[in-house]
Amino acid sequence: MDFAYILEALPDLMTGLKTTLIVSFLAIFLSCLIGLVGAVLRKSGIKPLQYAVTAYVEFIRGTPYLVQIFFIFYGLPSLGLRFSIFWSGVIALTAWASAFQIENFRAGLAAVGSGMHDASASLGLKRWQHSIFIILPLATRAALPSAMNTIVATVKNSAYLQAIGLVELTFVAVDRIAYDFRAIEMFASICVIYLICVFTISGLGYMVERRLSRPFGGR
Amino acid sequence: MTANEKKSEMADPEIAVELSGVDKWFSILQVLHDVNLTVRCGEKVVVCGPSGSGKSTMIRCINYLEKHQKGRIVVNGTELTDNQKVIDRVRQDVGMVFQNFNLYPHLTVLENCTLAPRWVKGVARKDAEALARAYLERVRIPDKADFYPSQLSGGQQQRAAIARSLCMSPKIMLFDEPTSALDPELVREVLDTMAQLASDGMTMVCVTHEMGFARQVADRVVFMDAGRIIETAPPEEFFRNPRESRTKAFLSQILH
Repeated sequence: MDFAYILEALPDLMTGLKTTLIVSFLAIFLSCLIGLVGAVLRKSGIKPLQYAVTAYVEFIRGTPYLVQIFFIFYGLPSLGLRFSIFWSGVIALTAWASAFQIENFRAGLAAVGSGMHDASASLGLKRWQHSIFIILPLATRAALPSAMNTIVATVKNSAYLQAIGLVELTFVAVDRIAYDFRAIEMFASICVIYLICVFTISGLGYMVERRLSRPFGGR
Repeated sequence: MTANEKKSEMADPEIAVELSGVDKWFSILQVLHDVNLTVRCGEKVVVCGPSGSGKSTMIRCINYLEKHQKGRIVVNGTELTDNQKVIDRVRQDVGMVFQNFNLYPHLTVLENCTLAPRWVKGVARKDAEALARAYLERVRIPDKADFYPSQLSGGQQQRAAIARSLCMSPKIMLFDEPTSALDPELVREVLDTMAQLASDGMTMVCVTHEMGFARQVADRVVFMDAGRIIETAPPEEFFRNPRESRTKAFLSQILH
């Protein structure tokens, strides 16, 4: 392995990494938001909305991610919806991650027992007060481990966006290989960089989890 | 007719809770049949009966955690309807303690006790905390205010739940099998707290199998079976001389 070559390629890789992180961060933020709203809608009791959310989740889970990306980048323009490569990437990654975050938060909501509702109702708390003070924190805690899983997968799945020409980390590596044929150096480097990103995120996740699981457990 | 008019029209200050001809179904299963029960202010009523007899469902109807389909339920002069304002008013007067405590696990005992006073009644934080500490003192866990529920024993959790209810200054307290989830050695402390509350004059409706408590505290014991009230009697009479055969069969099973 030629470390000098890796060093020489590093500035390029860092530029790619920057795009990877920006796209991932936007998608993580938006998908968590959509996940929460979607999960609430799915339990809202409003039938058309419930069906719409369920259909969305099933569509995303049931179709290949790469096809979804192509659908958004190549398909939507013919319907009059044209986005830049960057925003197509953000939309595709968000659309994919949202479906899984909806399911994560739905599981979190289901983990809040009916006893909490009884307690709040008997104390006279309003529905919105119960939702904000009780359901939201408890559901978030329950959903956190699987939500972290999806967040990590979101970062990794940003690599697919090289297929539509987004100049992120994987794109840079593949691009350089096309000129210099240093496949092992480039793929090894980006693997290490992805690993560092993922470890940082899961580390943060464990910290949040530990902080949230102050005496808890039990009922 | 507004809720207020209803209130003045039917106000009988002596009567805390009145159920008349109450029927309830869970889809096609009828769980309450023509339930009639009057609880006077300051009265302590113990409800017992085999599992599935409708005891819990009946008391959950009193603060509208369950909706009855027929008959009338009047609490402190207010008839329960599905109007949210009416429900809110009734719930202001009625506190409830549950089998599984239902404390909020992510809040400290003190926060559990101050949440509703602050947000429902608009009590200032400082005042709500002072009130909560006073009630925690009364249920004898003043030193647990800053602990989380999972750090407490079952008995302490249930006493915290009682304090949380009392912080809303209810006129009536409902207890739904408050000691059934406790280890045997922790039952006493909860029953003592309830007995103390009773001696302070609280109106209480308790679903419980603690017959010692019924003897000691109850003014009346209500026996339910298969969704009906079978027998109502003062405790001495109820235990010494039950009239109905189903009551006799039940008592012979639990008094060993």
